[in-house]
Amino acid sequence: MKKTMMTSATGVIFALAAGSALAAAPADWSKVPEASITLLYPGVSPVEWINKGTEHGGARVLRKGETCVGCHSEEIAAMGQLIASGSKIEPTPIADKAAFIDTKVQAAHDGENLYLRFVWKQPAASGAGQMDDANPVKIAYMLEAGDKVELAGQAGCWGSCHGDARTMPGAAETKTKYVKDGSLANGVFYDLNQWRSGENKAFDGYVAEERVMEGGEALISAVGKLEDGVWTVDFTRKLTGGEGDVALESGQTYNFGFAIHDDSSAGRFHHVSLGYKLGIDAEADITAAKQ
Amino acid sequence: MADKDSRDTQEPKRKSGFIKLLLRPSVHYSIASLLMVGVVVGILFWGGFHTALEMTNTETFCISCHEMGDNVYPEYKETIHYSNPSGVRASCPDCHVPKEWGPKMVRKIQASRELWGKIVGTIDTPEKFEAKRLKLARNEWKRMKASDSRECRNCHNLESMDIPNQKQRARKQHEMAIEDGMTCIQCHQGIAHHLPEGMTDEDYE
Repeated sequence: MKKTMMTSATGVIFALAAGSALAAAPADWSKVPEASITLLYPGVSPVEWINKGTEHGGARVLRKGETCVGCHSEEIAAMGQLIASGSKIEPTPIADKAAFIDTKVQAAHDGENLYLRFVWKQPAASGAGQMDDANPVKIAYMLEAGDKVELAGQAGCWGSCHGDARTMPGAAETKTKYVKDGSLANGVFYDLNQWRSGENKAFDGYVAEERVMEGGEALISAVGKLEDGVWTVDFTRKLTGGEGDVALESGQTYNFGFAIHDDSSAGRFHHVSLGYKLGIDAEADITAAKQ
Repeated sequence: MADKDSRDTQEPKRKSGFIKLLLRPSVHYSIASLLMVGVVVGILFWGGFHTALEMTNTETFCISCHEMGDNVYPEYKETIHYSNPSGVRASCPDCHVPKEWGPKMVRKIQASRELWGKIVGTIDTPEKFEAKRLKLARNEWKRMKASDSRECRNCHNLESMDIPNQKQRARKQHEMAIEDGMTCIQCHQGIAHHLPEGMTDEDYE
């Protein structure tokens, strides 16, 4: 029995070693196309808010299938300023909170792994105090396949953002992100990967009935560094993982969104992207071409 | 005596002096003179009527009542219809009173009901106004929807908009409005006043 286990373990190690010999992040990231994506400070704009016509004028076009990007891509920074200043949908504005963060996103794959690089300039610290004193910075992205999560195709991560989730006004501290009719069995979920700067740890989870931060099998590593005030975070993720991991296939596009918790923030006090598409060898907002 | 009685019986409804004068054919004045006098009196009457009507059709008149001056007017002063880069102002009657004569008369007659409200103090405190804001707004939205936002269209027209040069969000919404045959007020509620509390999805349809 012991011998069998040892043999299996050796097999796995050999397989991993062979895999890593074949798989490698782009040797020269400067040759990988960059997508410029601005993240905005979203205030209290959960999915219930974006669907409410009396609050969000775009609810009508959203119902007709329009995407957030379709109406807002040219005014993301301005929206962030309105919200961060407390002029709109932010009941507790934080002094000097960054209104938006400009990022560059690059993606590539080698048939085995997806490589994602996020680069952004660290904004000046605000007067928020430390909500998450263990982690000055966290970055997370979510992937969704097949538009099974309501609004994932139009609104990116917003499909998981609800008014009764923790840190929303009046919400219970125990309630996490979730998606409507979330179910791993039915494929109604977001795949979630996160890197935390203080703990220097990568998390591979998902969001379905609730947010689960661990248990995924796709994420291999996440490495981040701050140099001259600029963050660079690299994720390496297997194209195919296990339960709670979206299986990525060449020629397909996936719903994609990401968020940065800057300035030791937590919960809703992050900066988020609108909804974008990640293509694997397919034309999209961000295309991961085979290296 | 008998004769007098007989006359009384024959003319039981003798007109009084003034009415009789009005009904009696003229023997002193020419038809031309009478027509001339009629025309002059008509002009004076019509002119006077319209002068009075137009006096009630000004912002100054509207905000002379504190119900308007204290509640909706300060909100309007924060909006683009009050102050904008081009210096064109749309004041109360531009949006709330039709320009065409017929619809204007109808609106004015309807508005005369507000005089009763003024007398009995229906909205004479900010609290009373807030309590009625949704109902009042719904009345106005209904009127504007029914007229295809006629007063908005006195200045704005989808046909004359340079949609490709609009901001991205406006562009999308106006393209959809054309496709779906929508009317201005369906999206632009609250453009000159605060939106009421308690609006429902139907209010936005």
